[in-house]
Amino acid sequence: MADDEMEDEKEYRWESGYEKTWEAIKEDDQGMLEASVADIILKAKRKRQLDRKQGSRLGMMRHMYLILDCSESMTNQDLKPTRFLCSIKLLEDFIEEFFYQNPISQLGVIITRNKRAEKITDLTGNPKKPIKDLQALQQTSFTGEPSLQNSLELALKTLKMLPAHASREILVIMGSLTTCDPGDIGETIQTVKADGIRCSVIGLAAELNVCKILAVNTGGEHGVVLDDKHFKEKLTAHIDPPPAATRLDAALVKMGFPHHALQASTTELSVAVCMCHADQPNENGRYTNPGYLCPQCFSKHCELPVECRSCGLTLVSAPHLARSYHYLFPIQQFQELENQQMQTNCYACQKRFTDVDKKVYNCGKCKKIFCVDCEIFIHESLHTCPGCATNTDLTMQKISNNKST
Amino acid sequence: MATDIEKSLLIIVLDINPMQKLIKQVITQVLSSTIVFANAHLMQRSNNILAFMSCHDHGAEFLYPKDDMPGVRQYDGQYEKFSQLEHTVRKQIHKIVGEMPMKHSNETLISGALSMGLCYITRLEREKYAGEKINSRMIVITGSVDSATQYMHYMNIFFTAQKMGIILDVCSLEHELTLLQQGCDLTGGNYLKLPQNNGKPNIPGLLQYLMWIFLPDPAIRSKLVLPPPVKVDYRAACFCHQELIDTGYVCSVCLSIFCKIRPICTTCHTMFKFAVPLAHKPKKRKKAIDMVQ
Repeated sequence: MADDEMEDEKEYRWESGYEKTWEAIKEDDQGMLEASVADIILKAKRKRQLDRKQGSRLGMMRHMYLILDCSESMTNQDLKPTRFLCSIKLLEDFIEEFFYQNPISQLGVIITRNKRAEKITDLTGNPKKPIKDLQALQQTSFTGEPSLQNSLELALKTLKMLPAHASREILVIMGSLTTCDPGDIGETIQTVKADGIRCSVIGLAAELNVCKILAVNTGGEHGVVLDDKHFKEKLTAHIDPPPAATRLDAALVKMGFPHHALQASTTELSVAVCMCHADQPNENGRYTNPGYLCPQCFSKHCELPVECRSCGLTLVSAPHLARSYHYLFPIQQFQELENQQMQTNCYACQKRFTDVDKKVYNCGKCKKIFCVDCEIFIHESLHTCPGCATNTDLTMQKISNNKST
Repeated sequence: MATDIEKSLLIIVLDINPMQKLIKQVITQVLSSTIVFANAHLMQRSNNILAFMSCHDHGAEFLYPKDDMPGVRQYDGQYEKFSQLEHTVRKQIHKIVGEMPMKHSNETLISGALSMGLCYITRLEREKYAGEKINSRMIVITGSVDSATQYMHYMNIFFTAQKMGIILDVCSLEHELTLLQQGCDLTGGNYLKLPQNNGKPNIPGLLQYLMWIFLPDPAIRSKLVLPPPVKVDYRAACFCHQELIDTGYVCSVCLSIFCKIRPICTTCHTMFKFAVPLAHKPKKRKKAIDMVQ
């Protein structure tokens, strides 16, 4: 057992990360530390992008269950103000970002306390519902022990039913150091593995062997947070879609692209009950004017993307699909160059390069020079190289490439 | 005091592609209108900021502000900032038009200009003082036709702008631009196609339209009587025939859209597995044959 661990991870963070940190900081000619500190900051900024793998097949239609520990240990105050409140706050951002980056994915929430698991949000494509449910949890009490097995089984029940082309994931946030399980958790882990569900665990206290085995066996990630910033980092790592497991079947999924219907612009659309709010008790919210009509059964929905309540067709808008195209056609990493005053300004933001800008970045395709902040912005959010977009030949060439493949 | 730290940034993107039929004849008129519009924005409040960009079929560039702007001088009692803007922009455009290569295409690289604009906005956001607030918006003035070649760039730009809360306005001089229309709708901006007058766009009225529809701050716009919003077509075009479809089939790997079921995805070459429809058909047919016999 000990040998296994030695193989898959050579050292722990506390053994390597802090070793001889003073060596990284060097004084410059004037005996100032600023330059090397700036260098460290820069490296930290770029770290996440360099880690990003490219060109692999991604599981884009993600179905993720979030298992949140709500046991007594979550009231611990080592994360401020408490472990639970810190998690809720970070999870809200995570859920928003998750749906932003994975527009046709679904997410559900399961909580576990008192040796029981409870599903508080079913798989949904709308970020508002899980966030609202999570916030409502603040009023409840945190008691007892969590049960990892019960929550896995509960998530398994739903995830099992999903079609084979969907990528299935479970993300466990574990604050407790114990779990109370009714049976052999090893068996559950085997079932989860057999169903191809990727389980990742974020520990808030310390590493648990059972969690590690779960993550390693199912191809997920396991990590323990150091502080809230590190927690956030760990969560962000789950926003990009994971490389698709090879057993994931490809399929054509039928989808509807509903019309965008505006107020009183068409006669076909009178006031009608919106299907998303049809079961609401108050009359006011149920009738809405603008909305999207399902092309198959003509029931109205007020938001996209949604699964039609009456016929089950997935309704999306074309921009929703386009939002994930940047994963398919990622822009190349830029080349890091020493700033030799070849260009006076950053091509994108017009910033004048000064002595502080030690490194500049060069796009391999269009040969334009960018500053470090633009480089990060381009890769993290814009996903379009301004240099290539202002180059006629490259724009045209890209089109012909896309057509030929 | 609260308004003092609120700045509003306007980025004007002017399409000067010489292949546009229209701009050849009226570029001076359009340019004058745009400069007056730019000055009007600067005049509204002393801490309003402005950036002026031009784009054409060979690239895009910032015209104003520049590092090496001519010194401030007064002309005819005009406010120094206005004359500085006007002179810089006119000089730069003169230079760009003179240096343009002879080979031209219809494709104006508006998406390139917009992506540079977004980088510029993020830089200002980064460099602002703590507590300062910058409301940014971008306006595109173009007479070019719509083209699908920049679709990916556009979509990336629209979503980034939406996320950053930047409003995108579009004023089209001649053609209906469905792609940019989607961008306006996504970011909450206004879209206007200049009304036609005897089959010709109403260029002399351009300034009035700019002032009326695009000058007011987004906060004030809700109180104005603006042209009714256009119906934006969000339907997808299938990859195989480029036709707009209501229901289609989406590849689970690469999200390509097809109008009919097909065995292999043409984009990522994935083979699809068919669970129900194909397996059942032969059986039924056999049964039917049995029945007949």
